[in-house]
Amino acid sequence: MATTNQLGIDVEKYKYGFFEPENYIYKARKGLNAEVVAMISQMKGEPDWMRAFRLHAYEAFLAKPMPTWGADLSTINFDDIYYYIKPTEKPAESWEELPEEIKRTYDRLGIPEAERKFLAGVGAQYESEVVYHNLKEEWERLGVIFLDTDSALREHPDLVREYFGTVVPPEDNKFAALNSAVWSGGSFVYVPAGVKVDIPLQAYFRINARNVGQFERTLIICEPGSYVHYVEGCTAPVYTTDSLHSAVVEIIVKEGARCRYTTIQNWSTNVYNLVTKRAVAYRDATMEWIDGNLGSKITMKYPSVYMLEPGARAEILSVAFAGAGQHPDPGGKVIHAAPHTQSVIVSKSISKDGGRAGYRGLVKIYPGAKGSRSAVRCDALILDERSRSDTYPTMEIDEEDVSITHEATVSKVSDEQLFYLMSRGIKEDEAMNMIVRGFVEPIVKELPLEYAVELNRLIALEMEGSVG
Amino acid sequence: MTTIPIPPTSDRSPVEALSERLGEPRWMREARLAALDLADRLPAPSPTEEAWRRTDPALFDDSAARPDPSVVCGPREAPALPPGVIFSTLPEALRSHPDLVREHFMRAVRPEESRFRARHAAWCTGGTFLYVPAGVEVAVPLRSEIWIQTAGVAVFPHTLVIAEPGSRVTLIEAFGSMAGPWPAMVNAVVELIVRDGAVVRYIAHQDWLADVRALGVIRGRLARDAALHTLLVGFGGSVVKTDVEALLEGPGASAEMLGAFFGTDGQHFDIHTLQEHRAPSTLSDLLYKNAVRDRARSIFAGMIRVHPRAQKTNAFQANRNLILSAGAKADSIPNLEIMANDLRCTHGSATSRLSEEQLFYLMSRGLRRVDAVRMVVEGFFAELLDRVPLADVREAISQDVDRKMVQ
Repeated sequence: MATTNQLGIDVEKYKYGFFEPENYIYKARKGLNAEVVAMISQMKGEPDWMRAFRLHAYEAFLAKPMPTWGADLSTINFDDIYYYIKPTEKPAESWEELPEEIKRTYDRLGIPEAERKFLAGVGAQYESEVVYHNLKEEWERLGVIFLDTDSALREHPDLVREYFGTVVPPEDNKFAALNSAVWSGGSFVYVPAGVKVDIPLQAYFRINARNVGQFERTLIICEPGSYVHYVEGCTAPVYTTDSLHSAVVEIIVKEGARCRYTTIQNWSTNVYNLVTKRAVAYRDATMEWIDGNLGSKITMKYPSVYMLEPGARAEILSVAFAGAGQHPDPGGKVIHAAPHTQSVIVSKSISKDGGRAGYRGLVKIYPGAKGSRSAVRCDALILDERSRSDTYPTMEIDEEDVSITHEATVSKVSDEQLFYLMSRGIKEDEAMNMIVRGFVEPIVKELPLEYAVELNRLIALEMEGSVG
Repeated sequence: MTTIPIPPTSDRSPVEALSERLGEPRWMREARLAALDLADRLPAPSPTEEAWRRTDPALFDDSAARPDPSVVCGPREAPALPPGVIFSTLPEALRSHPDLVREHFMRAVRPEESRFRARHAAWCTGGTFLYVPAGVEVAVPLRSEIWIQTAGVAVFPHTLVIAEPGSRVTLIEAFGSMAGPWPAMVNAVVELIVRDGAVVRYIAHQDWLADVRALGVIRGRLARDAALHTLLVGFGGSVVKTDVEALLEGPGASAEMLGAFFGTDGQHFDIHTLQEHRAPSTLSDLLYKNAVRDRARSIFAGMIRVHPRAQKTNAFQANRNLILSAGAKADSIPNLEIMANDLRCTHGSATSRLSEEQLFYLMSRGLRRVDAVRMVVEGFFAELLDRVPLADVREAISQDVDRKMVQ
């Protein structure tokens, strides 16, 4: 074994490499047409407006061109994907009610431990529906709603209808249109005015069948003065055929509210991860995206914040790790559409073994967004000569009274740093590991403890064998 | 004056007539005709392409213009030159040194790259040819100019510089026009061939005073231990779209790329730069400074590309933008594509307004606001001009800045 991780790398690999036999109640056929879209809506017993929304979005999906920029998406075959699989009849009320094999999956991912640590609710997405959802009682008393989006549509139809699709309209891009047509699962979070949810809300997502598209749809509404931290973690077992994950996340942060959205994404290296994440921030509101991208074959994900009223703030922290055959193309967008808005983007990318990592972003300052400030910092570490790093920032500045900076560096692990550590008796592989951990530290320290630990473990796992 | 309108379709006779009039050899005429066919076959650039997203390619439709070979394009004076140095107009060089021209003309920049490049190859109206033999050092800066004084013309100037191993030369090109609201079209190509250990400094001082739409490319090819310094100064024209590229092909090559642009009224500058590292131990250092006022717009799109095995590379890219009034726009797109690992590569971009603190400081010393603003703008460009070791060029640029400030 190449690393000295105290938990043992082989155990970790096993933990994330298993899969369960498929045993589902219903399995839609592969491919997509208007009939499949209508059928999904009917199976879910949705209101007419949602069925219309889906069918409309399906037309937009057909009309929209594939993106011609970014990563190579030419190998996606839309006809070779299941668009809807329902693992159980209805979401389980408690952990014990879950089917045995689903429970085993989550046991191995460590969810019950997390629960025992008094983490908030667990929305576990096994295939296309959230099957397990548990919300701490005191939050229910406070009026916080944390449901899977399908249940929210049944239980709070007016709230969902008011906000659904308002931040990311189906026409936004081809994959947002696809998600709008066939979405299933995802989380719905509503935080009433003034309520501060002090323990992070968590949802675990998991793909577990060949060629299953996961199209979860998450909607978070923060009423004025509220605060919530939502944590999305993704791990997937290793499969041989390509999978598509195309989520839409919409967040509304009202006056003076603050929302933090953390993702630790570790899809297996056959997954296409094409996600549209967008937040709107009103007066003095703060939106923070923390985005860790380790797995997947291709990731195209640009969390964005539209600052619509004065004093809004945006922060985007992003980590990308590209190993063999991987091409994460993450980034972020900040749109300054009001005076005195502020944004910070920090991106760290690491590429090794022929991987290609990068940053792609946009800073847009509209006329009249006076006194706006934006700072973007991108650092890349390339660990060997076969790997590649790209940085594609765009700054469009249409206002005079602004301060905009962008900085980027690309380098290798410095021999001096390695030498220093090794002269203190640390072995080369562990020294390399420490340097990489130090490189991503500014972002890891923003994560909840369990996720920081997990990210460090995942990096150690990825770094295995990188010194030879 | 006999000028010929450019037909929209591939009527070959006007190109043949142009070539005839310039007294060109047969191979050149054939190359022009081949490029003309190519221009018809190549797709028109589309506004959806990244390179054309911010400047409408239709602005460079030259079909209504007349290519005019009598527009001044070439050396301004003939100083005493060391033996073997050739400094002449391109048509003269075609007559006196056809083999040299044939070997290099449209080789670094190729007609098949795009319709605009092909049109340039077909319609090239003249330009500057400079050849410096191995080991020869040309002490005085050489000067050439492109001077337009007729409305409605299209000019296709071509600059070809060949610096043989170990040579040194400086070329300053001035692009200017009579003042006035009349239109003209420019499609320029500059090819700079810098051989082993040669040092070339190329300065393009662009100050069109008319409604000139200019499109062009400046491309340097650098061999082992070669050094190229480019400085692009842009003050004039209504729409200017220029690519500035350094291809570092030999180990130890280094490129310094400087640019200063000052847009006022509705001027539109779209500058794309490329630092292409194809060999190990190469260095590139870029600084572009853009100031915009009124409704002017500047676009800086830079790319550092480091190819596999171009190890021990140092590449730096900095873009600074100064926005002087509401309504002006500055876009900055500094890109990196890095395929080697043992390197140091940074880029930085900063966009800001006039600093009220600096203005206040100057005004508290008794300066009028307008003078204080001018000093701050001069200071903004000074960092760049300090890196140009030619006093008269620095002086000319500061005067242009002053003139722009009071416009």
